[in-house]
Order: sequence, then structure tokens, then C-alpha cells
Amino acid sequence: MAAKDISIIHPRPSSIVAALYTLRDLNVDVAILHGPPGCSFKHARLLEEDGIHVVTTALDESGFVFGGRRELSSVLKKVSEMFHPKLIGVVGTCASMIIGEELSEPVMDAGLDIPVIEVEVHAGYANNTKGVLLTLESALDVGVIDKEEFERQKVLLEEATEVEKRHGAASKEYLAPSRGDLKYKVAQRIIELLREGKKGLVIMNAKKETGYMFADISVAIHEIASRMGMSANVVNMANLDVSLGLPRVREHAHNIMHDLKEKGVLIHEITGGLDEYPIAGNVVGDLIAKKYKDHDFAVITGVPHAIPMDHISHMEIIAVTNGPRQVLPLKEMGHKHVVVEIDLHPKTLGVKHIVESELGATMREIAKEMLEGPR
Amino acid sequence: MGKQKRIAIYGKGGIGKSSTASNVAAACADEGYKVMIIGCDPKSDSSITLLGGRRIPTILDLLRLGVEVTEEDIVFHGYGDVRCVEVGGPEPGIGCAGRGIIVAIKTLKDICKEMDDMDLIIYDVPGDIVCGGFVAPIKKGLVNDAYVLTSGEYMPLYAANNICKGLSKIDTRLSGVICNSRSVTREEEIVRRFAEDIGSKLVAFIPKEQIVQDCERDGFSVIEKAPGSDIAQVYRDLAQAIMSNSDSATPTSLDDERLRELTR
Repeated sequence: MAAKDISIIHPRPSSIVAALYTLRDLNVDVAILHGPPGCSFKHARLLEEDGIHVVTTALDESGFVFGGRRELSSVLKKVSEMFHPKLIGVVGTCASMIIGEELSEPVMDAGLDIPVIEVEVHAGYANNTKGVLLTLESALDVGVIDKEEFERQKVLLEEATEVEKRHGAASKEYLAPSRGDLKYKVAQRIIELLREGKKGLVIMNAKKETGYMFADISVAIHEIASRMGMSANVVNMANLDVSLGLPRVREHAHNIMHDLKEKGVLIHEITGGLDEYPIAGNVVGDLIAKKYKDHDFAVITGVPHAIPMDHISHMEIIAVTNGPRQVLPLKEMGHKHVVVEIDLHPKTLGVKHIVESELGATMREIAKEMLEGPR
Repeated sequence: MGKQKRIAIYGKGGIGKSSTASNVAAACADEGYKVMIIGCDPKSDSSITLLGGRRIPTILDLLRLGVEVTEEDIVFHGYGDVRCVEVGGPEPGIGCAGRGIIVAIKTLKDICKEMDDMDLIIYDVPGDIVCGGFVAPIKKGLVNDAYVLTSGEYMPLYAANNICKGLSKIDTRLSGVICNSRSVTREEEIVRRFAEDIGSKLVAFIPKEQIVQDCERDGFSVIEKAPGSDIAQVYRDLAQAIMSNSDSATPTSLDDERLRELTR
């Protein structure tokens, strides 16, 4: 496999960060980065917004040379006193892993009576899903997840990696970031299609918490179609199965479903769990082949490139992604319009309700003018 | 400062680099040269025989304490006023000794003004160049002459040959080969031919003498403890050869077959 891998030169999410997010999904109270103070700073801050404590052993030159066994065990004791956690995660970094740090020794030194998930990870893996896998393996070892969930996640990770290699950020040696098509134009086009009485599919295929914002697009289209009396022309699909995934992920699905129901949005087809975006695309494909082949357009949000083109290529496709490097691959797949929700992820951390998207807001504004008149 | 000699002695671990370095340092000091010896081995024992068996605080020990390190804290005056510095490093199996060398050498360069005044600076580097840090003195331009120390046995020659491979890879010239005898048959001839085959020369043959060990055990060089001995004179000659040597060449390493042939 390694020999065929292309050498990708654009920066991509790191396995260390992937490990941190996975620890969050496992509901750790504290994640400790064992390494230099600035490592993964931006994501560490975001995760604090999401309600977990992230701290660092802040290894310096002396730490690199002499190792940081003492530093890690003392940070473990310190956070245990400060935050009274029930579950802690310890994450390696490039620096600590290169100098051969063992995480288990300082964890033993600290002698805490709560489980500690040790993740010996650095950022040098071609696929950042490796960070998730290493975290889950360790979580399995300490009994935080069971074998069944582990195996399920493993399949999803392998699929996620494949999805990225096929049409995602790992599909080309270099992908320039892009802001995609103008939201105003695309919003106008969606409304036009609704007004013309075209039959549309609104498919949310979101990755975990990003669903809080992608769901807003389903809501906006529902609102506008209803006002036009066209809601019968719209079929909603979403990967919002509340019974699948790690506890936190199920909670997100539950929260989003609750909001959708409250706003009167009917999800006609549930395509899988919020962590099943890599395989839910195929469920979507099968459903379309069976029931919705005659639709004219499709708005696909979240991870649009996970949905096979086989049965949708004749439709006018509007893709909504949060990856600026995803624009070109989506266009190449045949998606006519590609919209990027810039900085979506930070806005979906620490929330429990659907948050407004830029595309949703734009559509609402245009529809308002159109239906109520400009004055 | 064009005349300043900054040498590094490479060779298989345990072959006698530190003994050679400290005796050469002492012999040069006797001749009136200003000499500094910088021990780059985490074991921190390069300068011990110039200091009457005393161990000195290392650069990394002090950096670890987080104190501001000054020249006086890390440069110690040994026999014949030879300046002795030890880089230090972590316990075996912990942390990263290679990074330690890089950090310590940089610290030394930043705070040690005396370095510029030296006639000879000897870097005593660990035997196995296991990572980038161990060639930092060369890579950072601190060394202008490299020597390889070996006996006539197969394994030390194999290591010496590997070192030559490494030196040519980082584009560093070799100033000569030193034979530290282990009393192998035809030893001088073997090492001389090895030196010539790699495109260098044999600069000294140091016979195996018990007195070197005896002096070391007491914490001294032979130059200090047994200045009248024959072996002391050998070190003086080597010191003379190093100070007057101006030849160097990029070494060409030998293939394994040729190497075996030499020692057969």
C-alpha cells in the first residue's frame, strides 16, 4: 500500500489532533498533551470550548534531552487535584515520541485511581485516522469501549480513509484551498429550482458535531419550500441515527433531531449514525437508485464526496462542505455548485442546538425579499 | 584565527579515543599551546584524566537546573591549563543525547569567549554516530580536522570504514588515521594500508602499553604521570603531527570484501 501512496504536500489534519477529538468523543474530562507547549494549540483551545480540559506537559529543550517522565506524572497529579476527573487521556507528540517516551511509566508513577487512556501517537502518519485508531485501541484496553464498538469504528475509519483518498483531501499531491462558489448565487439557484417546482433531495451526510450547522441548510430549504407550498417536492435524508456511535456522538444526533422536529422538518430517510458518514454515502446511493431517481436536483451537505455519483449524475448537484480543499475534487466529481462554510467547525463546538449557516442565512434573506417584496 | 585547529576524533566505542584525546591535549599544552577539550559523550569522562580523576559539572546538568550558565560554570582548567568542558547528557535509554549535544554545543559557542583564543580544540565524540546530533560539531562548522582512531582488528576497522562513509556523505575531509594498537599481528601494516586505501594516511601508531591504563586508573594522563615513558613520547609525536598537519582528503570507504582481505 505504502508504495502506491502519493506524496501529499498540502497541510492536513494531524493524528495527534485526531486523537484529541477521539478522547473528547470518549468523554474524557482532561486530555494531557505530552510534548512542547505549543503543540496542537489551536485545536486544544477549540476542545476547551467543547467542554474538556486540555493541558500540556510543556516539554522544553531540557525535557527533550532528559525526557519528561517526571513532568508527565506531576501534571497527572495536578489535573487530578484541580479537576477531579473521572477519565483522563494522555496523548503523545512528535517530540516526546521521537525521544522514546513511555506513557505508561509516568501514569504508574502518578498512581491515580481512575482509568487513563494512553495514546502513543505523533503527527507523522499519512492518514490522520491512525490517531483515532490508536486512541480507540487504548480505550479498549482500559475498558472504556467494548470490542464490538471498536470493530465498528475500525471499519468506519478504514472507509473514511478510502473516501479521502478517492475524492477528498488525500486525492491529489496538492490541493489549493478555495472559497468555492458565491453563496448568493447558489442560494438564488436553490430557490429558483424550488420555485420552478423541481423535485429536490436534501442530503445531510455530516461528520459528528459539524451536523449542528449542516442541518441548518436542511432547515432553511424546508422553511422556504413550505412558504412556497413546495415542501412536497423535497425529500430529506440525514445520517442522524440516535442509536449509533460513541455516547457524545449519539447525543449530537439526538439534539439535532430534536431541533429538526421542533422546526417541523421531516427527515424521510435516516441513513446512519453521525460517525457513519464514510458508509452512509452508499446507503444514500442505494436509496436514490430505489426510490428517488427521478429527482431534478440534490443539495448535499457535510461530506458530499462520500456519496457515489452513480445515481445522481443526471441531477443538478449543490455541494456544501467545510473543507476549502474539497472544492476542486467535488467539481471534478461533477458537482455543479460547491459552497464552503468557512470556519464551520469552531462554531459547532460546545453547542447543543442547530447553528445558523451562511448559506442558510443567505437563502432566507433572498427568499424573504422575493416573497415579501424588497421594500 | 585561521591557524586554530579544531579536531574531532572518531572511532569505535572503547577503542581509546578519550585516552588519545587527553594525552594529545596534555602534550600540546606542554608545548605551550592553548588547548581546550570538549567531551561530547553523555558518560562525561573525556577530561577526567586531565583533572586528576575529578568529575566536573556538565553543560546539560546546568541547563537542566534552569540556571543561567556562565563560562566559569562549565569551563574547568586541568593539567597544563587545558580547558575542560563536558557536554553531559541523559542516562542511557532516556531522552535524547543527540539533541543534548546540539543544545550544549550551541550554549558553549554562545557563552565561551575563550574558545576563540585556543590553538587547539579537541571534540571527543561518542563512538557510534547514531543520529544527527552526534555530528553536530562537524555540521555546525565547529570542526575543521577529523581523525579516525582504530586498531588492526576487524570490528574497529569496520567501524572506522563506516565513519569514513559517513564523513564523505556529509562532505567532511579526513586528516588522518591513528592506530591504537591492540597487539594484533601485522597491525601497523594493516592500518597503514587501510589508511592509504581510503585515500588518507597513518599519522601515528600507538603501541599497547599497560602504563596508559595504570595512569588512567589513578586519574591522570601519561604525559602528566609518566612523562619519561616511551608512550608519552609517542603522544608528543602525535601531538606534533596533528599541530603541523595540513593535509586532508575526503575519504573513500572500502567495500566489505576489501576490508576482510586487509585483516586476513
